[in-house]
Amino acid sequence: MVSGDVIPEARPRRLSFAEVRARIGEPDDMIKRKVRDRLDQHSRRFIAHSPFLTMATSDATGLPDSSPRGDYPGFVKVLDERTLAIPDRPGNHLADSFRNLAENDGIGLLFVIPGMREVLRGNGRAYPTDEPDVLARMRTEGKEAELAIVVELTEVFFHCGRALIRSRLWDPASQALAGEMPSIGEIAAAQFELDADPQALTDMLEDDYRHLY
Amino acid sequence: MAMQRTILEKAEPVAEGALSLLLRGADGPLAPWEPGAHIDLALPNWLTRQYSLCGDLADRDTYRVAVRHDRLSRGGSEYIHLFLGEGRTLDVSVPRNNFPLLPAPEYLFLAGGIGITPIMPMLTAAVEAGASATLVYMGRSLDSMPFVDELRAAHGSRVRVHATDRHGLPDFAAEAAELGPGTLVYCCGPGPMLDAAEAAFPARRLHIERFRPAAKEFAPDTAFDVHCARSERTVRVGAEDSMLDALTHAGLRIPSGCREGVCGTCEIALVDGEPEHRDDIGAAPGRMYTCVSRALSPSLTVDL
Repeated sequence: MVSGDVIPEARPRRLSFAEVRARIGEPDDMIKRKVRDRLDQHSRRFIAHSPFLTMATSDATGLPDSSPRGDYPGFVKVLDERTLAIPDRPGNHLADSFRNLAENDGIGLLFVIPGMREVLRGNGRAYPTDEPDVLARMRTEGKEAELAIVVELTEVFFHCGRALIRSRLWDPASQALAGEMPSIGEIAAAQFELDADPQALTDMLEDDYRHLY
Repeated sequence: MAMQRTILEKAEPVAEGALSLLLRGADGPLAPWEPGAHIDLALPNWLTRQYSLCGDLADRDTYRVAVRHDRLSRGGSEYIHLFLGEGRTLDVSVPRNNFPLLPAPEYLFLAGGIGITPIMPMLTAAVEAGASATLVYMGRSLDSMPFVDELRAAHGSRVRVHATDRHGLPDFAAEAAELGPGTLVYCCGPGPMLDAAEAAFPARRLHIERFRPAAKEFAPDTAFDVHCARSERTVRVGAEDSMLDALTHAGLRIPSGCREGVCGTCEIALVDGEPEHRDDIGAAPGRMYTCVSRALSPSLTVDL
């Protein structure tokens, strides 16, 4: 809790789905029809130009977790119209997503193309692989991906651009927001209660960021 | 690297799974080239790929390349085949030649599949120079081999087409046995074909170009220092790092391409020290390719 938080006397009121539906209304038929069960030429082209996605997985209890993935555009490989492969590059070794997938194979992907307001969403079932022919397609900077996540899609659809328009996500002026944040070294020093120079921590991390593959 | 703006004027199938791209200079004539040269193609998905020039040497307004859709594409050939549309602007490098055609009275050209691309302008140049020249052009099947009709029309009986699904592999040993005393052999194609050529022909007569690095064994990677003579800096290359990565991370700008020692983009000048060349190009004296090559001496001095 941070000083200045507004503490309500009770938790905010919880609505049932029926109450929510009553407030937001019904989707029209065209929106209902936007969900496809496989990739078409446009979703395939979107994936080929997307350098970033978020990947949601959940554990056996259903507790979800969302993780960013990024590389050159098209780093997610289309194996066929219903199957994708996402490379796994060196990260923090926590393997949260892999542990989740072992417990619950559901996966939700949200692909983004810089400059484009609409995003592509894909949901399905996933599992890890070390299939050489799949990993070979992910070789970057002379290094292969160690593992890949195979996604068998059941739903694919474009999501409208309102959220990205409202958020001014691609407006260069929005990047000034990052300047309002403390450095990652300051955050790490506070969160890990380290008695270290925040600048040195930032430098360490920056050095680490130079080895991306 | 000097780049040139081009427009993709035409993308047309030239064989099963192979597209020919005709690139027209957007700002006037393009840089000249010689047989064996390749260009870097900068793709919209941030990848850069190298393709041999296979068009008309005399046409200064266009470049032609041909691209096979690799089943295990990492995003280069797949992108070109599925997503690159005619009319698009593409930046290409000035041509670079790791596979130059040396003067000789007689040539034997060996091409496999898409490896025909650097060989085509070589054959034309050899014939125009008055040399005697033969092309043995092999591929899985006739349908998979680009430019067969064009080659036959231009060069007739100089071209021997060999579809391995019907005729098996050509006999390189027999070709080698009949090699004239001054004949040079130029070979481009898939790895196993190049290995067979290396086994059959004398090394000093054989010139090859690989698209993929040959399997090689080296001593374990060790750390070394690189003294950069011009910038007066010393950069440590860790055992885990490539020289290219270490120099790039230190802020020294070196263009890079394949990162596998086949394209030659990351070439630098060596001033002192003993390099360990690990590329498949064959670095000239005083040059080295930083993506794969390392040092045998504790340090190298380079012109950076």
